Order: sequence, then C-alpha cells, then structure tokens
Amino acid sequence: MELLTQTFLLLKKDLRLEMRRRESLLTMFFFGTLMLFVFHFSFDLVPERVAQMAPGLLWLAFLFTGTLGLAQLFEAERNNHCLEALLLSPLDRGAFFLAKTCFNFILMVLVEIVVIPLFWILFNLRSWEVIPYLFLVTLLGTVGFCVLGTLLSAVTLRARARELLLPLVLFPLMIPVILSTIRCMEAILRNGAIGDALPWLRLLVGFDVIFLTVGILIFDWVIEI
Amino acid sequence: MHLTVHQLAKAYGLLWALKDVGFDLPPGEVVALLGPNGAGKTTLLKLLAGLMTPTTGKIVLDGLPFANTPIQRAAIGFLAPGEHLYENLTVGENLHFFTSLYKKRQASSRIDAALGEVGLKHRSGEYVAALSSGMKCRLSIAKWKLLEPSLLLIDEPYGVLDGSGIDLLESFLRAESQRGSVVIMASHHVARLVNVCTRAVILHQGRLIFDEPRQQPWDSFTRAFGEFLPHETSWSS
Repeated sequence: MELLTQTFLLLKKDLRLEMRRRESLLTMFFFGTLMLFVFHFSFDLVPERVAQMAPGLLWLAFLFTGTLGLAQLFEAERNNHCLEALLLSPLDRGAFFLAKTCFNFILMVLVEIVVIPLFWILFNLRSWEVIPYLFLVTLLGTVGFCVLGTLLSAVTLRARARELLLPLVLFPLMIPVILSTIRCMEAILRNGAIGDALPWLRLLVGFDVIFLTVGILIFDWVIEI
Repeated sequence: MHLTVHQLAKAYGLLWALKDVGFDLPPGEVVALLGPNGAGKTTLLKLLAGLMTPTTGKIVLDGLPFANTPIQRAAIGFLAPGEHLYENLTVGENLHFFTSLYKKRQASSRIDAALGEVGLKHRSGEYVAALSSGMKCRLSIAKWKLLEPSLLLIDEPYGVLDGSGIDLLESFLRAESQRGSVVIMASHHVARLVNVCTRAVILHQGRLIFDEPRQQPWDSFTRAFGEFLPHETSWSS
C-alpha cells in the first residue's frame, strides 16, 4: 500500500511538472506526427501490404518518439540535485521506478492516441474495426517499452553522452517486445481478429510482467550506481 | 541521535579523499566541520547522508550500523542551500511534496507556520526558480524544520544568507540541538560557526587533524585553526 501511495505522490509531481513545461509531451507529439508524414511521402501503402508494413512503420515511430521521452525522463531530478533529495528520503526506490514507468507510459499513450488514427487517415486505410485490437497490443508493447526504458534510462543517468548511449543499449534489449508486438499487429491486420496473435501476445505479457518485477526489485541498486 | 564514525575512508580511484576518520557525537552536538578546499568535508557529509558508500569504515546511528534503510534515511537531513528543491514547483508545492514523502502529519498548518518563520509565507505560490539564492536557502531551512531529522548535515550555508537569514539559521540550529539532533555543518565562515557550534572538527587532506568540544575560551581551537588553516580569511570577519 505504501508503495502505491508513494508511486502516486511521485507520479502526481511528475505530471504537474510536465503540465507546466510540456517539453516532453510536445516534443514527442510533434516528432511522432512528423515521422508519419515522412512515411506518408516515402511509402505507397497499398491495401495488400498494410498488414506487412503498417506495424513496423508504427513501431518505428513509437520507438523513436519514446526514446525522446526517455531522454527527458529524469530531467526534473537532474536539475538542482533533486535526485539526491529523493535518494536521501525514505522513498521506496520501487515506487520511484513505478512512478517513472507510469509517467512515461502516460506520455506514450497520449502520443499513440493521436498517432494511430492519424496513420490510418494519412494512408487512407479502411479497416477501422481492428483499431481497438491494435490499441490493446500497442498498450502491452508500450508497457514493455516503458518498463525496460525506465530501467535503462536510470542505468545511463550518470553516463556521459547518455542520449547517445540510451538507444544503443535499449534497442537490442527491446527486440522481444518489438518482435512480438509487430507479429501480433500483423496477425490482427491479416485476419481482423486477435486469435492468431495469442502466442505472441503471451510472450509480450510475459516480458512485461518479468521486467516490471525485475525493475521494482533492482531499481534500488540501479539508481545508486 | 547518537552518531559514531569508525575509521571512515573513501577513495576515488587511487586518490584517498578521506582516510581513517572517526568521531563520536552525542545527541545535541552541533559540529563545525572545517578545512580548506579539497579537505574532504563534502565527501564526509555525503558518506554520512548515504549518498556515497565508504571504501572502508563504519557509520553507527543510535547503536545500529548504517544500512541506508528507509527508516534510517528518514532520520537524516542534508541542507545544501538552494539545492534539493524542484524549481518548477511552487514554494508550497515543494514543501507539501517533501512532507508527504516523509509522512509528516498536519502538513498544511505546519507548512504555513514554517514559511512564516523563514519569511516566505507571502511567496508560497511562487515558483522556486523565481527565488533568490538567499530565499532558496531559507526555503531549505523551512523544509528541514518540517522534516525534523535527527542528524542534520549542512554544506556551506553562510555564503548566500543575509544577516537576518544567518540569525534564522542559527536559531534553527539551536532548536535542533535542543531537540537532541546532531548537526554537522561544513563551512569556511569560522567566525560565524563559533557562535553556534559545540564542537569543532578540522579535516586536512582527508585526515581528521582536530576534534575537540568547545571550551571557553576556545584556545586549543584557535591555536589549531591558526596552525592548520592559516590562510582561512573568514576567521577575522
């Protein structure tokens, strides 16, 4: 219970700071939509190739957009030695990890709510009925991205050139999430139902649960490196 | 809080920033931590705060080895003037956030009172970024008044405070001492420290070279100070 109370307290603080600065959200939003326009002018997405290409293109946009968000994730704590203030406090470091993951997740979902329908409109796709399933898979993929991203963002927090280092460490470790999310989306787009995507969906859920648990358990050590 | 430090040492690679430092501080002690730049004062404060891990040695708080547990962390305060505050939160929001984090009750009324005491009540709604360095230091004092640590570590507070701010800090330190807290304050403003401290510790090149309780007159301290820190200018100020 204490873990959740502290998580909520930190999350509230992060959301309040983001509402004031709007740096992360606006940057992510504009970058995400910009990537869609670049894809729109670069690819001619005919209906037969939608299932093959749309998931990859969407997740390319989410990956780069999310990495921008991750680079800013601990910015409030980096300023004015506020990270020290949190490490000095009786805060459960698991709550710190959960709060940052939730904050990053909220930002990503807000971007995805705009980007996915915009993708459908820009590429003039007609299969709107699959959008709820795609959102479900995207949410699970986003959880995986945020959990691992938050963990690695904390690992690289004190590194020089951390903005360069973070994607180099993050992307290879994200392969299970990206692969299972893209395969899930592909199956949904081909068949219009979630049935064939279930094995990949299980892998995705497993990845989310394992890394969320590992993150809560090891964040105490990670943040003090 | 009873603080005991046994043979504490910290190395950065091959460089020993602190070596074989040990002392025993009973409740209510206000310690002046002195030494030239690079003597190891901030390193010692950060080790005591749990922000660094010692290379060797042991810190004992109230008879228990320091293991950086949430309960032990709640008892330790680190007043670094103007730091450890969120600049894009208001004065009031910062205090509400930290009092909630430390699970302090009746926060609102106590926050109003603490802000009144440090002269910031009328600036409660302003962003910390808009405050001057002195005002931020006053806010840090208000924060630690509210959080009531048993061991308070202070890093060079005098540089940014005006006369009334210094009076405020000194009355805060006396109140903390009466409450039974141990206060360790690193500074170069020796003349000021003499007003409030009950003990002086001098570090030189990472080693503890002087550790004496205050006596009247404080002859041994002035001798040691003159001997080990002859270039310290604030002594006569």
